[in-house]
Amino acid sequence: MLTSKMILAFIIGVATLPVILGASAWAKSLNLQMKWWKWTLLAVWYILLIFFIFLDFTFIGEGEVSAGWKMLLFQMVIMIILGVGLGRLLWHGRLKSS
Amino acid sequence: MAKENEKSGNSVSRRDFLKAGGAVAVGVQIGAVAGAGLAAGRDTSTLTGWQHLGDNTQFVNRKPLEIEGLPYKIVGTTRRCEYVESPFSRSSLVMRATMNARRKKQASEELDTQQSDFVKDIAPEQVQGESAPVLDHQKQGPAYPEAHEFPEPMLGYYKEHPGAYELDKIRMEEILPQRSENEKKYGTHYKLINAWSSAWGTSEPITQPPEISDFRIGGGRRSRPIPESVPFKSKKLASELIKKVTHHFGASMVGITKLNPDWCYNHSLRGSKERGSYDVPEHWKYVIAFGVPHQWEQMESNPGKGTSSDAYSRSTIAARRLENFIKSLGYAARRHSPMDGYDIIGVPVLVDAGLGQQGRHGVVITPETGTNFRAGFVTTNMPLEIDKPIDFGVNEFCQDCKICAEICPSQSISYEKTNEDMTTRGYRHWEINQTTCFNFWMQSMGGMGCRLCLTACPYSRKNNWAHALARKIDTDDPTGLVDNALIWNQKTFFDTPDASEFLPPPDGRFANYHEAPEWLSVEKYLDINTIDPSKGL
Repeated sequence: MLTSKMILAFIIGVATLPVILGASAWAKSLNLQMKWWKWTLLAVWYILLIFFIFLDFTFIGEGEVSAGWKMLLFQMVIMIILGVGLGRLLWHGRLKSS
Repeated sequence: MAKENEKSGNSVSRRDFLKAGGAVAVGVQIGAVAGAGLAAGRDTSTLTGWQHLGDNTQFVNRKPLEIEGLPYKIVGTTRRCEYVESPFSRSSLVMRATMNARRKKQASEELDTQQSDFVKDIAPEQVQGESAPVLDHQKQGPAYPEAHEFPEPMLGYYKEHPGAYELDKIRMEEILPQRSENEKKYGTHYKLINAWSSAWGTSEPITQPPEISDFRIGGGRRSRPIPESVPFKSKKLASELIKKVTHHFGASMVGITKLNPDWCYNHSLRGSKERGSYDVPEHWKYVIAFGVPHQWEQMESNPGKGTSSDAYSRSTIAARRLENFIKSLGYAARRHSPMDGYDIIGVPVLVDAGLGQQGRHGVVITPETGTNFRAGFVTTNMPLEIDKPIDFGVNEFCQDCKICAEICPSQSISYEKTNEDMTTRGYRHWEINQTTCFNFWMQSMGGMGCRLCLTACPYSRKNNWAHALARKIDTDDPTGLVDNALIWNQKTFFDTPDASEFLPPPDGRFANYHEAPEWLSVEKYLDINTIDPSKGL
């Protein structure tokens, strides 16, 4: 039986390839000097983002709506701070190389 | 040159396509993850209520959690529990004493009145016979007997615990009359949960002492001695079979242990007419302990829109089935269950049988359903392989958590960091004030009782990926960091009413832990006028 969970898992899986190809294209376009550890940091940041969204919507789904939104807000603030830090790190490499 | 431009142009175009596609894919993936999260949260197969657990109910492998030796410290001379030590058991004696006192008082008052009216030919017995309303406490007025008027064993208990006398008195003189008033005001709002709760009622009292009832099968005229015992190939196989059939009979978790005589109530033995001290029957060698979770939605809307009766009923029926199964194979058996009564204390038996650990709130926390379950037991002489107690970090978690203590409306649960100063009958374990707890039971509306500590316990969560992951990481973390992070998370982001909001008006508003399910909504289904006190007055 095809369930909504299976369809969503399929979409998440299929979307992974364009996400990776897109990230690579953006890196080249922005002239970022990407190294393996930069890719690792970026992947960790993105997986953490996905994890938090999955977690918070799980709570919303199980009826803890207020807790889910509050946690999402809190975690997104953290992710933005981490994202800015990561962006500066990547951007720094670009400026040096140029 | 032209070739290079063309190449460059194609390359840029392809790159732009990938960039745009990547950005769209990120959006799609995040949307799909959010949708998958919602689906995971809503998935009813992850509820740990009895109707959702499916076949694989005891899903935690206990082998890595097993410990050697006793699961509790012995810190003094140990002894058995007296019947009167439990306010739940004591309540029937309290009620009986109160009724007798009221009858005496009323008889004497009526006699006085009638004598003053020159009506002297009415015997006191007749007056007593006419006056026996049980529930209208307001009319009866305060009539709780003095402590010294009680017979043993209540007399001795009250002498030793004067605080318990005061609390019993408050219950009879203040709480129950107030509850009658609240019932008149708000009773209609609880029609559905009360009906649902009472629908689970089932009771088959044991009427003969263990030396008879445990060796006979069937009731009434069909009662007959148990057949000759059938030997098993091994104790291990016997235990394996017993666990399987207990699951079939309705239990979600099963464990087996030897019966420690200290866990048998003294001065109370079902089926025995005498209330004296008794020796624990020799054929109560082993106990099969099991748990049945509550229905999830009503569990979440405790105390007003919740009940204990559903899990009580299911564990009681499972216990009867298991008792009959064992007897049919020729072994003595006696059930101990919420609706047919207990001769043993449940919590330490469950701990011994490796079903879980005792929490700060005094009840057992299991790895599968937390505290969302009710227990049943069968004592037997069938030779069985026993399980070991387990440790999955509950004691360390409870030291820091205190959520149950904070939410308890009667403040019956300790805030102490550890249970080092708590000793009961020679054993060290978490203690609560059972009498104040019971007094709040008697204040609450709906299916009667409270169960807030069971509901609020962070272990009583669903079995979806988020909670399963948290439990797994927490159990494996020796540093306590995960404990602290989970507790901070729970207290910071999850809204619950304050403890005082669960109290009756005007101090509180008869709040519920969570919104009640729609099928308990009186407003939706019944054509009656109601006042919902939880919405505020």
